[in-house]
Amino acid sequence: MAVTVALFALPAAAQAAPVHLATVSPFVVLGGSTVTNTGPSVLNGDLGVSPGTALVGFGLPAVVNGATHANDAVAAKAQSDLTTAYNVAAGQPVAPANDLTGTDLGNRTLTAGAYRYTSSAQLTGPLTLDAQGDPNAQFVFEIASQLTTASASSVVLINGASPCNVYWQVGSSATLGTTTAFQGNLMALTSISLNNGASVTGRLLARNGQVSLINNVLDASRCATGSGTGDGGPGNGTGGDGTGGRSTTHNGRATMRRAPNQDCTDGFSATVRGHLIERVVFRMDGRLVGNRKSSPFKVFVRASRAGVHRIRARVTFKDATRAKTLRFRYRACAAAVREPRRGPAQLTG
Amino acid sequence: MTLATPRPPRFRWGVSALAVAALTVGMSYGLVAPARAAPSAVPTSQPLVVLLHDHIARTGPSLDARVVGAVGSLRPLTRVRTVLPVLGYADRKSWVQVLLPGRPNGHTGWIRTWQTRRADTQWHIRVRLSARRVIVYRDGLVERRFHAVVGNPWTPTPRGEFFVEEAVALSSQDHGGPFALATSARSEVLQEFDGGPGQIGLHGTDNLPGALGTAASHGCVRVSTSAITWLARRIGSGVRITISR
Repeated sequence: MAVTVALFALPAAAQAAPVHLATVSPFVVLGGSTVTNTGPSVLNGDLGVSPGTALVGFGLPAVVNGATHANDAVAAKAQSDLTTAYNVAAGQPVAPANDLTGTDLGNRTLTAGAYRYTSSAQLTGPLTLDAQGDPNAQFVFEIASQLTTASASSVVLINGASPCNVYWQVGSSATLGTTTAFQGNLMALTSISLNNGASVTGRLLARNGQVSLINNVLDASRCATGSGTGDGGPGNGTGGDGTGGRSTTHNGRATMRRAPNQDCTDGFSATVRGHLIERVVFRMDGRLVGNRKSSPFKVFVRASRAGVHRIRARVTFKDATRAKTLRFRYRACAAAVREPRRGPAQLTG
Repeated sequence: MTLATPRPPRFRWGVSALAVAALTVGMSYGLVAPARAAPSAVPTSQPLVVLLHDHIARTGPSLDARVVGAVGSLRPLTRVRTVLPVLGYADRKSWVQVLLPGRPNGHTGWIRTWQTRRADTQWHIRVRLSARRVIVYRDGLVERRFHAVVGNPWTPTPRGEFFVEEAVALSSQDHGGPFALATSARSEVLQEFDGGPGQIGLHGTDNLPGALGTAASHGCVRVSTSAITWLARRIGSGVRITISR
């Protein structure tokens, strides 16, 4: 009997079954009824809605670095796969010790596994998810009703944890507070609302309701190419930002160059080259435009409005070399901003 | 007089430096007809020139050269600045050779660099008529592929090297909306169409029949609404369009 109990007292990580996003993988935002945006949001990934059709506010200054699917066959199939993934996540077995109902997620460090809230969940401050060196470690949060984050809250991934393998199954709606830095695949039965300046590394997936954005940066590019567990995700095996096993040498170096290197272009590629580079985070005017964990550490940048913009690349290294920030300025011509003017239809058709 | 070519573009797909140099130099001296050139690879960057004033295009980099035509500083449909692809420079960059819009298709000329501004683009569009595909490149790499409707056998889509003259937002009642990329190409059959000069566009399918993947248009290239919306938000004036069989 004791042996039987011991056999089933597995670590939480071993209990979590893979969640397959399948055709949802390319999407950074998928809504059910509508997806609305206000301000210069940046979406790195596909944007879609189904069965609704409305995608509102995604002209300039918003930028969608991906395809758009307004209730087409692609979005419909993705919604179908989202339902499957949602149900798989909701059905994950949860150890009694992992029932967090009534507690705040903030200021906690959790290891891989499935966690449950039988009512609403709140995140105030940082939540740290520790993969303990396993790049395939999966975290599943089963939340029966709402998920709410306070302003400036964050989800921090360490020791190889990947946002591609973090799943938030929310039974009703989710609201991310101002400047929240969220990570993972947020799957809500109803709606998802982001307040001003919140960022997401992962996906926002609403089954029935709307997704509303206000000046947000959403990045699913790390997870867009599937591998392993369906949606999988690159970047595994690099040790994340963990410090375990890191070399004590200081041999890292990096330089950045841009092409074309002219004063006024309609965009350019910024490339960081060097030695022992682990990760490069590109920002333009403080907003995330690229997060590269493998070579080439390169991003294509195009401003959504004319004028001078500041490009910054934060480089971290695989050894003990201190992280460095590379900077330059870029001036976008007025002609570089794309918003076609109205005109007559006088083409041959 | 000295002739200078723009910095040779970098190619991604193993095109030899010799071939690149030959093509670039050849085009600069008019030895390779740009309208018929069909490069096997796409350069990572295309130099452009923005016209800040009306210009006279000539057959050579000299005021004595024959006049090819006048080029207005604004495009006729939307009144945006004229942006032309650069083929080469001459006379210490006081002259620039450019692709010109209109007939004959793919013609080139030299204009003074006075009252111009330099720019460039990383975008390039190829249209494969037989495959009925539009392939969009950025930085020398394929960014998107779209199914298309191309010209029917009686009003075929002209082949050659062209560029986007202007992007146009069309009304919901217009044919081919919601956007159009008006190109420098002109129909070889229709000298006039719908009040325009037989201008070839890359546009949407609003209010038009014909399934994607067919040859059913009057010469224009039609793509889906989502495709033309994607293009209109990224492709600006001056972007090269290579139309091949």
